Amino acid sequence: MSNTHLIQRPLPEVVDVLVIGAGASGSVAVSELAQNGFSVACLEQGDWTPATEFAGDKPEWELVKQKKWHPNPNVRQGPSDYPINTDESDVNPLLYNGVGGSTILYAAHWCRMMPSDFQTRTLDDVGDDWPFTYEDLQPFYEEMERTMGVSGLGGDPAYPDEPSFPLPPLPLGKVGLKAAAGMDKLGWHWWPGANSIASKEIGHRPACLRYGACLTGCPAGAKASTDLTHWPDALEAGAHLVTGARVREITVDDKGLASGAVYIDRDGVEHTQKARIVVLAANGVGTPRLMLLSKSEQHPNGLANSTDLVGRRLMMHPYGAAVGTYEDELESWLGPAGQILHSMEFYETDKSRGFVRGAKWNLMPSGGPLGMRSGYGGRPVDESFGVNFHKNVKRVLGRSFEWGVIAEDLPDESNRVILDPELTDSDGIPAPKLLYKSSENTEKLIKWHVARAVEAHEAAGATSIETTELMRDCGWHLLGTAKMGNDPKTSVVNQWGAAHDCPNLIIIDGSVFATSSGMNPTATIMANALRSIRHLVENRATQPMSGE
Amino acid sequence: MLTDEQRAVYSRLADVLIPSAEGMPSASEADVPTKWINDALGYRPDLVPAFLQALEIGADGEAEAAVVRINSTDSVAFDALGVLTSGSYFLNPAVKELIGYPGQVPSPAYDDTATYIDMLAAVVERGPIFRPTVT
Ligand SMILES: Cc1cc2nc3c(=O)[nH]c(=O)nc-3n(C[C@H](O)[C@H](O)[C@H](O)COP(=O)(O)OP(=O)(O)OC[C@H]3O[C@@H](n4cnc5c(N)ncnc54)[C@H](O)[C@@H]3O)c2cc1C
Repeated sequence: MSNTHLIQRPLPEVVDVLVIGAGASGSVAVSELAQNGFSVACLEQGDWTPATEFAGDKPEWELVKQKKWHPNPNVRQGPSDYPINTDESDVNPLLYNGVGGSTILYAAHWCRMMPSDFQTRTLDDVGDDWPFTYEDLQPFYEEMERTMGVSGLGGDPAYPDEPSFPLPPLPLGKVGLKAAAGMDKLGWHWWPGANSIASKEIGHRPACLRYGACLTGCPAGAKASTDLTHWPDALEAGAHLVTGARVREITVDDKGLASGAVYIDRDGVEHTQKARIVVLAANGVGTPRLMLLSKSEQHPNGLANSTDLVGRRLMMHPYGAAVGTYEDELESWLGPAGQILHSMEFYETDKSRGFVRGAKWNLMPSGGPLGMRSGYGGRPVDESFGVNFHKNVKRVLGRSFEWGVIAEDLPDESNRVILDPELTDSDGIPAPKLLYKSSENTEKLIKWHVARAVEAHEAAGATSIETTELMRDCGWHLLGTAKMGNDPKTSVVNQWGAAHDCPNLIIIDGSVFATSSGMNPTATIMANALRSIRHLVENRATQPMSGE
Repeated sequence: MLTDEQRAVYSRLADVLIPSAEGMPSASEADVPTKWINDALGYRPDLVPAFLQALEIGADGEAEAAVVRINSTDSVAFDALGVLTSGSYFLNPAVKELIGYPGQVPSPAYDDTATYIDMLAAVVERGPIFRPTVT
């Protein structure tokens, strides 16, 4: 029997809109379109992941998280994953393939970008301005915060407005209070973290149970992954979802407009789904991969790629961290994980630091006793084992936490997603390859920020501090590979996500980011997706479509 | 599943990694080689080949030297041995109790804003820290 199941009802031969990818942005598109009377189908290569499968509430959690629930698809190697060649990348891309996309594994830090993030060229003479401002996106942030049930506290002086989150903040606990006291000593900004994790029951979701396992899927169902926040209502409203459907090409009609997609089901059978409009929501790696795979007479360089910008300007937010260990018992295995606090103290550019742009800091707990113990090989045995095994557990368990630094990396055309000439996925489709080097600006930025994070730990009374200046497994944020802008010569899509070369191809995932900001991007991805799709709905009368 | 011979080798290696010290039981005192390793191998079938390789490299000679030999000749095998042994140890509820770790148990969220609202007033007093949109 086929694993590909058509939920609810048979697919029409031609749909109004075909959405590729059922993750953060695709879910927004599907529910918005279905609720506005469009016939909409979504092709998703992965399947549903029921909360009962997650290990966060089970004793084996720390053992299985290093494989089955690893965020790196090259390590996880699940049935819906595709390989990504990272031989020439400083950073490994992290993602999840299935209904809900990477929100299944995300940490749910909910971060609006700052006003300056939309204007880096004007303000700092680097990167590019976005074709709209913070104020243009603000109402969509607000709406997404309600839909996602974000927990947080209004009044943060790091923002120009006072977002009133629908739920109160998650507990700071002993970890948050300890870190906040350190920040206060230094006079540095901190604020209770906003998280798309329910602090109280909301919609389909119960309140957080603080397993601290957000990054491996929430067993309580309290985290706002879009399989929970969007899909039930979207299906109810008439949307079609095809799981196990791996798209290998977006087709075009004789005018060069997108006319549907060819996909392969889990029995290896190829299907074609026709559509009047195609929406791409396959993330910053999956989307350029598909565009580069979709070569045609009308689009010989790949779909909507006359600029040769598709796949270029990849940004992945290199991550630095300082982990402090304290004498006090802090129960630092408790969630959320999740950001307990954030700090925007050093977010804005100060050229006297020797670099431009900045980073958001997030405070996170440190997990259970096994932690990330996996890289012992080659180091002296008695560093981690023997008597030190017990000493380390006593010293660190429950007594350590991390200040993490989300470093803004600036767009660089040589950082890119290309098609690997040899590597393929399990369906024989060429796999993506990443070419990515961290820049000098980013390296200076991380070094400087990590040094400040060390000071924050010292002020809070840490007895020892360990730092990482570039974590390899940190490519949580996949951005920039189909840049948005007003000029068709220097961008792939316009401010509404419509491809300049193919106006009925709408791109709504993180690929469209003009710059990366120093924020976790999902709030912006979802708000931008909503803005683009609303525009499509409101302008349906004049929207170019295939088959007209 | 491990043969008796493999289990005997493993037992010696596991006690080098996790000896009885600091008021904590050794791996074998905590039933790692006899019980918990079976569960751990089931949770991580991907590590089984490297684990067995570690046992093969470490089969002969004095246990401490054998552990050093595994580490210096095959770091992948050593990683598997290390992760599975520590992971098995922490599966034992008695060990969890001794280290004061409740494990993956629910701990409902609550509102603790009252404990820090005064501290936040100082953050607010320090004033806005963003650059507004340039129009
Ligand atoms: C471990 C981890 C932690 C993270 N933490 C945070 C955080 O705290 N805060 C935050 O803001 N962001 C976080 N992120 C990032 C966040 O998850 C992503 O930004 C967000 O999910 C991206 O949304 P998207 O719609 O662009 O793509 P995704 O959510 O990745 O969805 C893309 C979907 O497209 C599907 N797809 C791709 N190619 C094809 C194809 N050829 N055929 C069919 N289907 C296809 C995929 O299977 C996938 O389901 C985290 C990510 C990870 C992995």
